[in-house]
Amino acid sequence: MPKLGTSIRIASAVAAAALLAVAVAGTAAAKPAHRATTINGAGSSLVAPALAIWGPKYASQTDVTVNYSSVGSGAGIAAITAKSVDFGASDAPLNPDQAAACGDCVQIPWALSATVPTYNIPGVHSGQLKLTGPVLADIFLGKITKWNDPSIKAINKGTSLPGLAITTAHRSDGSGDTYAFTDYLSKVSKTWASQVGSATAVNWPGGVGGKGNSGVAAVIASTPGSIGYISVAYVKQNKLNWARMKNAAGNYTLATGPAIEAAAQTVTKVPTDNKMSIVNPPKSAKFKNAWPLSTFTYVIVHTSTPQAPALRKFIFWALTPKSQHLISNSFLVFAPIPKLVLVAAEKTLNKVHS
Amino acid sequence: MASVDVTHPARRPFTGRRVHLGDVLLQTVAALASAGATALVLLIAWKVFDGARPSISRFGLSFVWHAVWNPVVGREAYGAGSFLFGTAITSFFALLFATPLAIGIALFLTELAPRAVRGPVTALVETLAAVPSVVIGLWGILVLGPALRSYIEKWLHAAFGFIPLFGSPSAAGASLFTAIVVLAIMILPIVSSISRELFLGVPRELKEGALALGTTRWEMIRGVVFPYARGGIAAALILGLGRAMGEAIAVTQVVGGGVFVHWNLFSQGDTLASKIASEYQGATSNLDQASLVYLGAILLVLSLVANVTAQWIVRRVARRHGVARGGHA
Repeated sequence: MPKLGTSIRIASAVAAAALLAVAVAGTAAAKPAHRATTINGAGSSLVAPALAIWGPKYASQTDVTVNYSSVGSGAGIAAITAKSVDFGASDAPLNPDQAAACGDCVQIPWALSATVPTYNIPGVHSGQLKLTGPVLADIFLGKITKWNDPSIKAINKGTSLPGLAITTAHRSDGSGDTYAFTDYLSKVSKTWASQVGSATAVNWPGGVGGKGNSGVAAVIASTPGSIGYISVAYVKQNKLNWARMKNAAGNYTLATGPAIEAAAQTVTKVPTDNKMSIVNPPKSAKFKNAWPLSTFTYVIVHTSTPQAPALRKFIFWALTPKSQHLISNSFLVFAPIPKLVLVAAEKTLNKVHS
Repeated sequence: MASVDVTHPARRPFTGRRVHLGDVLLQTVAALASAGATALVLLIAWKVFDGARPSISRFGLSFVWHAVWNPVVGREAYGAGSFLFGTAITSFFALLFATPLAIGIALFLTELAPRAVRGPVTALVETLAAVPSVVIGLWGILVLGPALRSYIEKWLHAAFGFIPLFGSPSAAGASLFTAIVVLAIMILPIVSSISRELFLGVPRELKEGALALGTTRWEMIRGVVFPYARGGIAAALILGLGRAMGEAIAVTQVVGGGVFVHWNLFSQGDTLASKIASEYQGATSNLDQASLVYLGAILLVLSLVANVTAQWIVRRVARRHGVARGGHA
């Protein structure tokens, strides 16, 4: 069989090429490790745009390379638990199970961002749709099924809403956006709290799942009448339609930097585990323009780690007002962390040692 | 030298050091490779069942048919029922669609097509097998899903809506039906290329004999080619089934997700493989992770059963014909 001979030859050529590639990659990866320090991290896709700015900036100042893979909050927690990275990043604080598995891990809030309801309704522009927490919960519970439902029409006077069926879209992978979103719905809807609850992945009453921000965005783009939730940085970068949400003070706000910053003023005391929920800020003049779906995003490190000096230096640097300004100043819509939280974060960071 | 027993180099007369060394080397490398592969399968199986242990001890065997999946800590409940149902229904229908097409392609390429056409078409069909599943999945989200939803599903629902399988289409392109079509496309080249090899293996004398007896081409195919290749085709189909059951990425991209057991092909669902692919990295707790691994264990058992069945069929047919065929299995 001449064919067999050919395929063996092809197979060995492929194998040789693969070996060569591995060898080349191996030497390439090994070289910089000897020259300079490298910090490896993985996790949240929400915070990834911030690291894309911080990484090169920090490398240019210090000769320390920061590698970050945007694999999702849940995967980031798994990676730091397994110690396959130097730091993990998650938008959701560790739950008791995860904290126990991670051992001597601490979580440090290092960026402030938000998740945003985005939609695809023919004839309704970005920023035009207004929603309240209870209406959003009823939509995702499957109780409101059409866009011209009286409860939606009542808060959108002047906007013509089609009699289109509503399709909800959600993340199929474990996600910090899902945590912030379900945390918010649990706070504004008793039915949601008792039927579904909040976590990085939940038992959705219905709707279509998409993998990652891009997966949800794809579902929304291809489905007229759909609504989902997406990280604010992703929404801004891709110019998706974003909804106005009514906050507890009664104002319909957009997820702008100042609105997210205002929501973070909710924090008056930081608990020792740094676990803070800033969704649905209470009714008060201080939170007049607050975006109700805001969230802290955390960096997770082991308190005892051989990389401690480099990690501490990098995270301290990220927490400086200058670095915070670097990511909030751009179109990415992160907001600077409040001073109170910064102090607590630095206190926690001081526990990290080698 | 003609009487040398190559399979037992130890008994071989001394013929020179270099040759002997090569033989020993060959035998060692080959034996190590097969031992390694065997050990790997056993290790994987052990690791999977070990990883699933927390979930197995918590939910027992009823996990297999319970249709529930709630990863929220404090109200955790897990079961494979809906995913098992999704896997069964998507792979069954994918096979149902792919089989006649694949056999048709194989017949066309071996018996019917003009010689000049065979080469290029064969190459193209086999290229289909080389398209990465993530690319097929992307095409499924962006092109196939919306197209099926707007035309095929709508039309089938209007015409045959009284059959529960053709319920009202989901507004998003994501549905079990989209997953079925994607899977059918993925198993098509596997089944067709194995069938083609089988049809090529039918002895020319038999075919020409049948034609000489005055049969039509169809009668020759039905009377000679099909009976000769039957066992091999069955094995090819089971291999295709195994592929359909195990495909994760492309299905995850188009199936929509959710814990549902329903007969409406046009609504979304989830399969064992797609659930693992979409949730494993972000498992909320140890129990969640163990339960996902439990899904993997179920999938492993299913694939094993499919593979063993395929091998059994091939062996049985080979014994009946007294020839060893179906070497692809």
